[in-house]
Amino acid sequence: MIRVEDLFYRYDQEAPDVLRGVSLTLAEGSHTALIGPNGCGKTTLIKHLNALLFPTAGSVSVDGMKTIDTASVREIRRRVGMVFQNPESQIVGMTVEEDVAFGPGNLALPPAEIRRRVDDCLKMVGMTGLEKRAPHTLSGGEKRLLSIAGVLAMDPRYIAFDEPTAYLDPAGKQRVLEIIRRLHREGLAIIHIAHDMRDVADADRIVVMDQGAILIEGTPAEVFGHAGLLKSVGLDIPAGIGHE
Amino acid sequence: MINLGQYLPGETVVHCLDPRVKIVAVVLMSLLIFTAPAAGIVLISLFLASVLATAHLSLAQTVSAVRPVAIFMTLIFLMHLFLTEGLPLLSLAPLPLRITQEGLAQGAYVTWQFACLVIVAAILTMTTLPSDLVGGIERLLRPLQRVGIPSQDIAVMISMALRFMPMLLEEYERLRMAQMARGADFTTGSLALRIRALAALTVPLLLSAFRRADELALAMEARGYRRGPRTTLRELKLSGMDFAAFAVMAAFVLINFGLRVIA
Repeated sequence: MIRVEDLFYRYDQEAPDVLRGVSLTLAEGSHTALIGPNGCGKTTLIKHLNALLFPTAGSVSVDGMKTIDTASVREIRRRVGMVFQNPESQIVGMTVEEDVAFGPGNLALPPAEIRRRVDDCLKMVGMTGLEKRAPHTLSGGEKRLLSIAGVLAMDPRYIAFDEPTAYLDPAGKQRVLEIIRRLHREGLAIIHIAHDMRDVADADRIVVMDQGAILIEGTPAEVFGHAGLLKSVGLDIPAGIGHE
Repeated sequence: MINLGQYLPGETVVHCLDPRVKIVAVVLMSLLIFTAPAAGIVLISLFLASVLATAHLSLAQTVSAVRPVAIFMTLIFLMHLFLTEGLPLLSLAPLPLRITQEGLAQGAYVTWQFACLVIVAAILTMTTLPSDLVGGIERLLRPLQRVGIPSQDIAVMISMALRFMPMLLEEYERLRMAQMARGADFTTGSLALRIRALAALTVPLLLSAFRRADELALAMEARGYRRGPRTTLRELKLSGMDFAAFAVMAAFVLINFGLRVIA
């Protein structure tokens, strides 16, 4: 379980707070959507989940390990995977297979185990056969899938996706959403930052953020019931979902 | 793209050799070529031709690997041709230049020597995946870890540079197009104007490179990267073929030095 307790964060001593007292629990196997206008602190929040950022005040713990405890950081980063918004700048390998092998290599796993994970993860995202390709020769959608495979190879329990369908065509979008659903079915906890509420209508829980704090949280039905409040922070409920 | 002996996939013995054997072979051959007399260069050329044949590399592929340095080779040749003292063959009066017999011989020898060096390096890069090459360098440097040289960090740095080269070129092209769309002109006007237009590209290109580096560092951390021991997909292992190839190589080097002593 990931526990965020009364989290405050500012990038700089003099800067204003980007997160202002966020408390949140993410259970194992849950599917949580995080929505809110640009600049509301969604990305800053998820960077706390795998110890890329550390609280200015409050605390974040993963399965009982505090992120500020330096001895736990490595294990926390293994358990909480992070798929960033721009796939281009998270691909580090010279070939597809080597990129997927980067994470397991950092865990110092034996080559045979790395091989197994690389093959499994590429199969999971449907990229079998592209092992030897250079990343810059892949399409935008394939780069996105590769960035997901690279995170899966760490064998995480939780994965945070930061707008995973950005810049994708409709088919690519469906493919990514299908993979996210499948990972959830297999028992991974999903944290999904989205702009399009249609993408997260099947989440267990939706958390709406505004100006560094949680505005509403609840099941999709509960959240979509607050159409007026959502509209006040610039979020529209698309036709076909919700109650109004 | 810079095409200095780009990898050409294949299944030949040369392709399958351990990258370490190939790297050491390149170092040995380079030393041999540097110190070889004219007769030795002939022998080395024959040896290289047989390696090229074994690796199924065609003459055209070899020539295209050498082409990027053709201008240097021409310069080297001309310098020796005109600047060597000796028996005049042709005088270019009124220019103070003359071609000598020794100049022709020396020019041909040095240029061919240079070509051999380039071909040796090209055989390595044309038959070895860049990632294997980096792996080989890493493994060869590993004993130096004891004196504080971080071979694994060096390997990550090299592969990162190779990974980001094409990305920066794409970015450059994108920025150039974006500026052209807004009326920038990179092809006409005075030299000063064109340099200024290019400078306008450099700043955004650098900025975007730094931004990407930041994002990349974060993504690497998120995937558990830290300094120190890590493993890779393929651990290099020397096979019988590698030892055989190394023996052939060593024998060739010894024969060469032996012949030099006799001569």
